[in-house]
Amino acid sequence: MKPPSFEYHVPGDVDEAVGLLADLGEDAKAIAGGQSLVPMLALRLANPEHLVDLRRLDGLRGVEERGGRVRIGAGTTQAAVARSAEVARSVPLMARATPLIGHFQIRNRGTVGGSLAHADASAEYPAVVLALDAELEAVSPRGTRTIPAGDFFTGLWSTALDEDELLTAVDLPVRSGRSGFAIEEFARRGGDFAIAGAAVAVELDGSGRVARCGIGLFGLGSTPLRAPGAEAAVTGAALTDIDADELGRTAVGELDAVPADLHASADHRAHVGAVIVARAWRRAAEEAANG
Amino acid sequence: MTGAPATGAPAAAARYAGTRVPRVEDPRLLTGHGTYVDDVVRPGTLHACFVRSPLARARIVGVDAAEALALDGVHAVFTAADLNPDVREQWYTLIGKDVPDTPRPPLAEGEVRFVGDPVAMVVATDRYVAEDAAELVAVDYEPLPPVVDYAAAGESGELVHEGYPGNLAGEFPGAPFEDVEPVFAEAPVVVRRTIRQQACSQVPIETRGIVAEWSAPSGELTIWAATQSPHEVRLFCSRLLGLPEQRVRVVMRDTGGGFGQKVIPQREDMCVMLAARKVPGPLKWIEDRRENLQSAGMSRHAHADTRIALGSDGAILAAAIDYVEDVGAYPVPWPVGTSAAVGMFFPGPYRVPKAAWATSSVFSNTSGRTAYRGPWQFESLARELLLDAAARKLGLDPAEVRRRNLLRRDELPYTNPCGIPYDDITPLETFEQALEMLDYEAFRREQERARAEGRYIGVGTCTYVEPTSAAVGLHATEGATIRIEPSGKVNVYVSGGSSGNSIETTVVQLTADALGVDIADVSTVQGDTAVTPFGGGAAGSRSGSMTAGAVGETASVLRERIIAIAAHRLEADPGDIELEHGRAGVRGVPESGVTLAEIANAAYFQPETLPPGVPAGLEASGRYRPEHPLVYANATHLCTCEVDIVTGAVKLLRYIVSEDCGPMINPNVVEGQIAGGVVQGIGNALCEHLAYDAEGNPVATTFMDYLLPTAAEIPDIEYGHVETPSPGPGGYKGVGEGGAIGAPPAVANAVADALAPFGAEITSLPLTPETIVALVRGGDGTVPR
Repeated sequence: MKPPSFEYHVPGDVDEAVGLLADLGEDAKAIAGGQSLVPMLALRLANPEHLVDLRRLDGLRGVEERGGRVRIGAGTTQAAVARSAEVARSVPLMARATPLIGHFQIRNRGTVGGSLAHADASAEYPAVVLALDAELEAVSPRGTRTIPAGDFFTGLWSTALDEDELLTAVDLPVRSGRSGFAIEEFARRGGDFAIAGAAVAVELDGSGRVARCGIGLFGLGSTPLRAPGAEAAVTGAALTDIDADELGRTAVGELDAVPADLHASADHRAHVGAVIVARAWRRAAEEAANG
Repeated sequence: MTGAPATGAPAAAARYAGTRVPRVEDPRLLTGHGTYVDDVVRPGTLHACFVRSPLARARIVGVDAAEALALDGVHAVFTAADLNPDVREQWYTLIGKDVPDTPRPPLAEGEVRFVGDPVAMVVATDRYVAEDAAELVAVDYEPLPPVVDYAAAGESGELVHEGYPGNLAGEFPGAPFEDVEPVFAEAPVVVRRTIRQQACSQVPIETRGIVAEWSAPSGELTIWAATQSPHEVRLFCSRLLGLPEQRVRVVMRDTGGGFGQKVIPQREDMCVMLAARKVPGPLKWIEDRRENLQSAGMSRHAHADTRIALGSDGAILAAAIDYVEDVGAYPVPWPVGTSAAVGMFFPGPYRVPKAAWATSSVFSNTSGRTAYRGPWQFESLARELLLDAAARKLGLDPAEVRRRNLLRRDELPYTNPCGIPYDDITPLETFEQALEMLDYEAFRREQERARAEGRYIGVGTCTYVEPTSAAVGLHATEGATIRIEPSGKVNVYVSGGSSGNSIETTVVQLTADALGVDIADVSTVQGDTAVTPFGGGAAGSRSGSMTAGAVGETASVLRERIIAIAAHRLEADPGDIELEHGRAGVRGVPESGVTLAEIANAAYFQPETLPPGVPAGLEASGRYRPEHPLVYANATHLCTCEVDIVTGAVKLLRYIVSEDCGPMINPNVVEGQIAGGVVQGIGNALCEHLAYDAEGNPVATTFMDYLLPTAAEIPDIEYGHVETPSPGPGGYKGVGEGGAIGAPPAVANAVADALAPFGAEITSLPLTPETIVALVRGGDGTVPR
């Protein structure tokens, strides 16, 4: 379990980093906290000729709240997110998702951008940004662009980022109105990749009906997913008219390719997924109703 | 010599034995300063990496190493043709020369037999280059149909090894089933289950590893190894290479866990030994985690047709087990002998009038079976699951069924129906103590309330009797050398095999007591065959009892000498000399005394002052030879859990162990051993699974897939102690393995108890969430939400 040899680059700023990515092309891989990439290198599952280390890009770290949005730099560690009072206050779903990511040693090094750009289908943050309709900021030699979370995850471990493009921040809406948020997951052990997980964001209108519902699913497909049918089913409905178990079944009923592995068959994942969606919904709805 | 008073127990009151002396290993281990085999750095070291089979079974058509050899930094690529012919003799002292041992070529010859089978060994300047080169070795395979499922291997047209029809590695006919059929035919209650256990691995945190350094001028081979038994490594190596034993030196300091995986050298170790004389520097192989999970061995994988017959009053009438185990392609050591213990201990600590058993060991194209902490533990799993099932069938509480059948003190000695003569055990006492620690009746009431609320909690137990300190063959004796140095400070030399079992602390405690010195004045030297007496190593829950015997035997010689010198100098009667705090005093005359330093000074530097007949120096060697071939230990494990019937999650609530390992030398060490075993057993019950797919590919080769329990899954373990002396030194019994024996059935029974309202019967492990959901569904047909 020793990685094959590679050339190592440590750019000093974002321009240099994306310049390197542009020059090196598909033979290069950006590395942030390394919590997924380093094991893949050691197992020789990834074999890049060049590693572009983002550790000196200090500008990519930090949390900033402005104009009803919270911007979290891609290089911010998950541990820093966990410590941020702003995130806890303004984007509670992000704060609640963080302790579920691996173990604290992993969160000390793992970054927000790394987790999103790695796009693991069982990871928490991708489901959170989907549920919140966040926007992802990417920089390339051609400039900066914004990618809606819904367009970001394109396939198994793949994203809308171009080869020479670096994820630099995630831009999240500050909670407002009567809203509730919950994330639930089921894993074999604490810290394991989820067998099934769901992040739910719900906002009520003045009459107590659901004005907006975002459901992000993880562990239940080849990419992080939304559950548009389930979201539509509850939007406009009164909380009291919504059957959480039914909602869970609707959400997993939309799935077409539930994965199977040593830890759970597709059937069991779907079964647990429905339960988890229902549990997350109940908690989010309760918070919104009391909000 | 035998018996506690003669060997282990010092004349002075024990000052350290029985107390929670801090472990002497801890300062170096807890600060990260242990010396594991990878910490051994020798100048000019070369590094080995194995080319391993990606197929479960295939013919090796050819191996082309040209491209690998061309890589900068590569010294050699060895194949079977290079190494295997150098094998002179290959057998383990542990098992003996004359058993019908199974094949074990160092490198695969002609055919690969499991995914991970070593085909070639690359030697390079570092492990990185060695891994690069290993990828360049081109092996041409012609795939053959693998025998993946051992349970179907008997009917397979394919053979894992030529010469073993039906893929049968061996079998024990045990005690005939015909003899118990009449009892089963007439018994009011019969419970019959096919019980299955999955493959698990020992998973030492330090993987396997070895460094071998050949000195051609002196003809000496020095080996540093991650091992539980340095002397076995030396003997094995000397036979393998045809080197005289005294020219082989094996050194180990810290071994980061073995649990059976490191009791004897395996095939990769042989390759390094064989190649050591062919490479221009010390050769190091450090196994990585993927190799460990795919090639270091498997255990536990077995099933059995099990039966128990009971009277309508719940009294056991007979028990029978027909056991079949998977031994993989290359088991180490010979597994057939160990399997007999499954049959012989199946009756456990219960009054079982009649029993029948048979075992068979079957090859498959998977990783080989290796020794694992309590290798016969299937007997407890099967028996305890059956007892709970019987209780449900009888409409009795499982505790009541056990109470009616557990052996009482007044029935001992008791020979079980398989001929095992138990004595000095307390199964009923540990059982009652564990139930009391829980407050069993209160738990049953709480369970009622919980069920009314739709919560499912359960309690399960396992009571077992365990053979420890088996004194045969390699393990027949244990030696110690004690040197009281000229300064009066003490060094104790024992074979060791310190793999986390605290044997250094044990030795220092016992020696300090035996010589009446302060523990700070005693050090121990272990694990180096050049200076330590021969010893069998850490295996079979033997280190405590056997080493206590060795230390006691040796210390008694020195005590006698010290007392003689002191009496002479103090002009007192030897019978009045007391040894305490490193000083020999005269009973009742506090001002009269001589320090051990003064005695040592006289013994080494003023031999003319010694009393007549007392030899100079203060050094002695002794060897303990027990008269009792086995020492029996026993325990009850009790577990409570809550099951989420919707997701299938199991949360353990309390875990209680009441054990009887005799008087405890150090309760911290005893409880540490129990805890370690319990955690492994919980892992076996709930999450660990060394799984293969239908093609024979291992699917749990990282810690993302081979799920070990973590601190988050394990409740605090609570300990109760019953102390019944054994006939061995100090009355001590073994305690190393039991934790891993009792936990799987206790956990499984707790889950079964929680799910009793659904009519769920547990017959196979592991209890994954998916399995549990299926059990709940299977019980009443409804789908939980």
